[in-house]
Amino acid sequence: MIEIINFGGQDFEKDASKELMLLSFISQSFVQPFSLEDNLLAILSALTSGSGLGFNRAMLFLVEGPILRGRMWLGPRSTEEALYIWQTLSKPGVGYAEIIEHNRSLLNRPEDDLSRRVRRLAYDLSGGPERIPSLAAVRRNIILVRDAGHEPFLDEEFRDIIGQDEFLCIPLLSRDGVMGEVILDNAITRAAIEPRDVKLASLCGLVAGNVIALSRMHRRVTDMERMAAMGELAAFITHELRNPLAAVGGFLEQMADPRATDRKKKRNLRIIRGEVKRLEDILYKVAHISRVDMAQPPPCDLEPIVRSILSEPDVRRKKRQRTIVLEVEPGLPPVLCDPVYVAGVARNLVDNALDVSPEGGTVRVRCVHLQAERSVLLSVEDSGPGIPPAVQDRIFTPFFSTKENGLGLGLLFVKRVMEACGGRVEWEGGEGRGSVFKLYFPAGGKTGET
Amino acid sequence: MKKKILVVEDEKALCLLYKEVLTEDGYDVTTVPGAEAALEAMAKERFDLIVTDIRMPGPSGIDLVTRVLCRQPDIPVIINTAYQSYKNDFQTWAADAYVVKSSSLEELKSKIKELIERPHVPTQKRPD
Repeated sequence: MIEIINFGGQDFEKDASKELMLLSFISQSFVQPFSLEDNLLAILSALTSGSGLGFNRAMLFLVEGPILRGRMWLGPRSTEEALYIWQTLSKPGVGYAEIIEHNRSLLNRPEDDLSRRVRRLAYDLSGGPERIPSLAAVRRNIILVRDAGHEPFLDEEFRDIIGQDEFLCIPLLSRDGVMGEVILDNAITRAAIEPRDVKLASLCGLVAGNVIALSRMHRRVTDMERMAAMGELAAFITHELRNPLAAVGGFLEQMADPRATDRKKKRNLRIIRGEVKRLEDILYKVAHISRVDMAQPPPCDLEPIVRSILSEPDVRRKKRQRTIVLEVEPGLPPVLCDPVYVAGVARNLVDNALDVSPEGGTVRVRCVHLQAERSVLLSVEDSGPGIPPAVQDRIFTPFFSTKENGLGLGLLFVKRVMEACGGRVEWEGGEGRGSVFKLYFPAGGKTGET
Repeated sequence: MKKKILVVEDEKALCLLYKEVLTEDGYDVTTVPGAEAALEAMAKERFDLIVTDIRMPGPSGIDLVTRVLCRQPDIPVIINTAYQSYKNDFQTWAADAYVVKSSSLEELKSKIKELIERPHVPTQKRPD
């Protein structure tokens, strides 16, 4: 017999040790979506929740460049509010998720004057006067203030805002330096801060510091990836546009020459028109690859779309001296995919197949109902040279193409469409034999249904 | 006698354009669509200058520059490409000039004139 237990699905009993509670609380915060705000909220919740450490209030500062800036302050604003919150949160069945959600709602209150007050505070860490609370971040030490009224190093504005004699300043340390600071107090219960609380809070501070460092690193990496992708896209577009632009500019210059004959001018116009069309095609493809949007597509019939593509002028021109064989299973159900995209992906595959098949070659297009998996298969088989092993894992990569004038966006578009409609794309074949591209569309109800 | 230029370019429209414009400028122009065809043409006749694209089907223009340098190190080579970025690739530094394709042919024409009229300095054949 086995017992299946969900991760983070259970809360510890109320009498479990504070260390265990804290570990439970913080561990669970990491199974949430990776958001710095969420993780920080989880850590502040751990510090202030009765299930965790149980400080009354937690104030958070983050380091932004050389400045330590107030960000949020979590906790009740009055004894009445505290009693109400603690009663609510100590009810049976209230666990980690409920506490976090409750604290999120506290922070999002329009009248949350605690956070509003703390956001006014900012301290210069790079040589400003050494004052509490920033002293803890500058010295990288925990500071426990026992008697704020007689503390000469305390910042006056901060003293007014916190309004407590006893509080704890924990710097949030990470391998990358100080990430921020947390200030904890027991403004409601007036309980003394014990050495054990200090130790546990300092551990929380280490976790929080590293969560912030990790999150910032994650953001930097994401930004760099975006910048790299943008740079790649920009370089690609620049290159693709330069060739036709060079032709357009050159042929226009020739036409401007008074010695140019009418015949030459006409020919140049024809070439320029072709190059402008090519520019349009490039822009269209680049613009459309980035947004495949398909919310609840209506069912559409595959067969008429495929037949219509096979009779398009471009396909007819390309298929000269090549044979296209179309096989459609009778009684094919409709597919759940936007008909415009169905046409787009089918056109891409047929176009590719005709491009790679030699003169005298055959392109086979098949539409089959796969009842067991509730899908409709559209397969396109070419008689080309196949895809060399060295490039097989790159065929869906943006800007990768084995075709002379290929943009390297066609198969990526096919993949995006199939993913958007809940289908998939597969291919078979290898070097020296033709390839078969298979599109599995989800089968739908009758066409015309909404 | 007319100076001979070999243009290596896979874009048909650009081949036609370069052939016409450079012929009007008084050169004898041969166009080929790739590096392999360029080496075949060079085996048959001697050119005074080569203009090559980089990205073409088959071996690239950079491969061509390397092979040309081994065969005829004294022949001037101009890389004429839509890619700005290859200028930073040390492999392109062996070429005598690097021209980024644009809607005006002036830069390409002036580089051709400058290099083709440069006094010829015989160099030793490099080992293959």
